[in-house]
Amino acid sequence: MQERLQVLVLDDEPIVGKRLQPALAKVGCDVEVFDAPGPALQRVAAKRFDIVVTDIRMEDIDGIEVLEDVLERWPTTKVIMITGYATVEVAREAMAKGAFDFIAKPFKPQELRDVIARAAEALGFAGIERAAADDPA
Amino acid sequence: MADNPAAFPDAAPEVPDASSVERAFLRRPSIGIRARLALGFLSFIVFAVAVTVGAWIMLSRLERRLRFLEVADRYTMEIQQARRFEKNYFLYGGNLQDVQEHIANARRLLVAVAPDAAEVVASAELGKMRDHLGRYETLIARLVARDGAHASADRAERPAIEAELRDHGSQMVAFALELAEKERASVNATLALFKRLPVAFLAFLLMFSVVVANFLARQIVGPLSRLMATTQRIAGGDFTPLMPLRWYRDEFSTFSVALNTMMRELARRQEVLVQSHKLSAIGTLTSGVAHELNNPINNITLTAEMLKEDYGSLADEERLDMVNDLVVQGARAQKIVRNLLDFAREGEITTERLDLVEVLRQAASLAANQIKLSGAKIAIDVPSNLPAIHGDRQSLSQVFVNLLLNALDAVGKGGHVSIAAGTSREPGYVQVVVSDDGRGIPAHVLPKVFDPFFTTKSRGKGTGLGLSVSLGIVRQHGGDIRVESAPGRGSTFTVLLPAAMVPGLTENDAQATRPSASKPSRPV
Ligand SMILES: Nc1ncnc2c1ncn2[C@@H]1O[C@H](COP(=O)(O)OP(=O)(O)OP(=O)(O)O)[C@@H](O)[C@H]1O
Ligand SMILES: [Mg+2]
Repeated sequence: MQERLQVLVLDDEPIVGKRLQPALAKVGCDVEVFDAPGPALQRVAAKRFDIVVTDIRMEDIDGIEVLEDVLERWPTTKVIMITGYATVEVAREAMAKGAFDFIAKPFKPQELRDVIARAAEALGFAGIERAAADDPA
Repeated sequence: MADNPAAFPDAAPEVPDASSVERAFLRRPSIGIRARLALGFLSFIVFAVAVTVGAWIMLSRLERRLRFLEVADRYTMEIQQARRFEKNYFLYGGNLQDVQEHIANARRLLVAVAPDAAEVVASAELGKMRDHLGRYETLIARLVARDGAHASADRAERPAIEAELRDHGSQMVAFALELAEKERASVNATLALFKRLPVAFLAFLLMFSVVVANFLARQIVGPLSRLMATTQRIAGGDFTPLMPLRWYRDEFSTFSVALNTMMRELARRQEVLVQSHKLSAIGTLTSGVAHELNNPINNITLTAEMLKEDYGSLADEERLDMVNDLVVQGARAQKIVRNLLDFAREGEITTERLDLVEVLRQAASLAANQIKLSGAKIAIDVPSNLPAIHGDRQSLSQVFVNLLLNALDAVGKGGHVSIAAGTSREPGYVQVVVSDDGRGIPAHVLPKVFDPFFTTKSRGKGTGLGLSVSLGIVRQHGGDIRVESAPGRGSTFTVLLPAAMVPGLTENDAQATRPSASKPSRPV
């Protein structure tokens, strides 16, 4: 049996974490959710995640800083940015800084799963997640 | 002079509409300035004519008296002459021809003077004189007749006639002298009066001129200074129409009607500006609102998708939790949109008692999205016990949105914007201070920031109307906006608004405390 994908989700809207947790767990991810950047970064310092999903606009620390911080510590971690409206430039900046991809709000869980599947593939995980996701619930 | 009710009076809800004011002006009878000037000068002319006619009448009467006096003197002379001849006759026995001649002269004079004499002496007096003269004449005639007869028939008759002649003669002379004397005194009195008359006339003329000049000046200077005060009031942004103050109408009324029309136009234009600038502000706000709206929509999407996906396997309470989330997030989205729609709604300007806190919350929540989006921080400090104000909710929230958007443009990522409200140091005023720690405003730019179309922003980004429109709105509410700023040290805009009046404080009291400075203050 394959090792499970370690995923961290950071969004200051608590509902995002609350819903993504089961959505991603279903496709074989170990998910930790945070709704504030501080604790999330502390956790990143302690543990290597395969994938980090972070909102780009947050109070206090913004997503770009999270991206830089994560990549500095774990260069192989794939960071996926969640962007809102009117932040295309920021998204572009994120890509330039090494983000794996970005996904625009509002999005469906499946859309995120697809991006995560691609990231997992890039990391060498076989496409289990996608297959699992394709299973009718 | 001109009473100056604020555009949003406290107690009086009926702001007079322009056409009814104009009708009020036109209903009044027209008495033009020209007519009043003409009346003033006419009164002078009438006065001068009256004086001239009076003087002419008096002078001609004086002339008649002088003539009478002359006649009276001649009459006296004739009588005296007659008596002298009469005396000669009795002493030396001359003829009586001369006496008769002089008496005849005297009678002619008396007849000639009779009409004039009537106003100088009483007619009884004149009759007496005539009687004396007649008696004297008959006596002389009797003497003449006696001498002609050469019959000294009745010698005793002569002394009797002589005595009677003497008596009448002396009385005649006395009368004549007295008459002349009286007349002379009266003429002298009239002359003395004439000497005083010019002085009296001058004094009266002086007084009359002062009164007329004063009256005319009041008629012209009064309305003029009222109009002047009105233009100042207009410059201050108060467009309350002028009301007729007098029962008649003149050129100034026409001017007032024109001023009212101008004010109406200005107010309309101001409204158009406010509205068009609001549209541009809405454009700016929309991006923030759309961003903000994305969060609840995203929450709804995720929740609904997961509910659908796992519907069968979820526990009841989990499903309930998810449905609750949907409801809450739906309401959140509605609130965000309603705020913007509220702001965008083109409503009538209405005056109501407002809780400033609410207005500020609305404005802040509209602009807050925008501010967050740009990475700046906003701090709101509004005490809940702020005094209420009177005004239009929509336009006031537009003012604060404008100030917040300006602040947002001035600060960068990590900058700070704050709204603080409280009672002002100006008594009777509430103040809202919007400050930022952005780039600030250079001293040479500061006096211009309230000018319409003044902007330092690129084309398409700023219209330069924000502050001008905001100041217009605040002035209409009887308030003012002050600014303090220095480059690099941020800017502080202070909005002063009159607190809703405490019962008992009259409108005029509130006017008297209107903040004095109308120009933005310099940085300190
Ligand atoms: N808080 C501020 N900090 C620095 N400068 C300011 C601030 N507020 C206003 N200004 C200056 O005053 C000018 C006029 O402001 P105003 O709001 O009238 O127009 P604008 O902001 O340029 O245009 P618009 O309001 O239509 O976007 C601005 O261009 C800016 O230079
Ligand atoms: Mg502006």
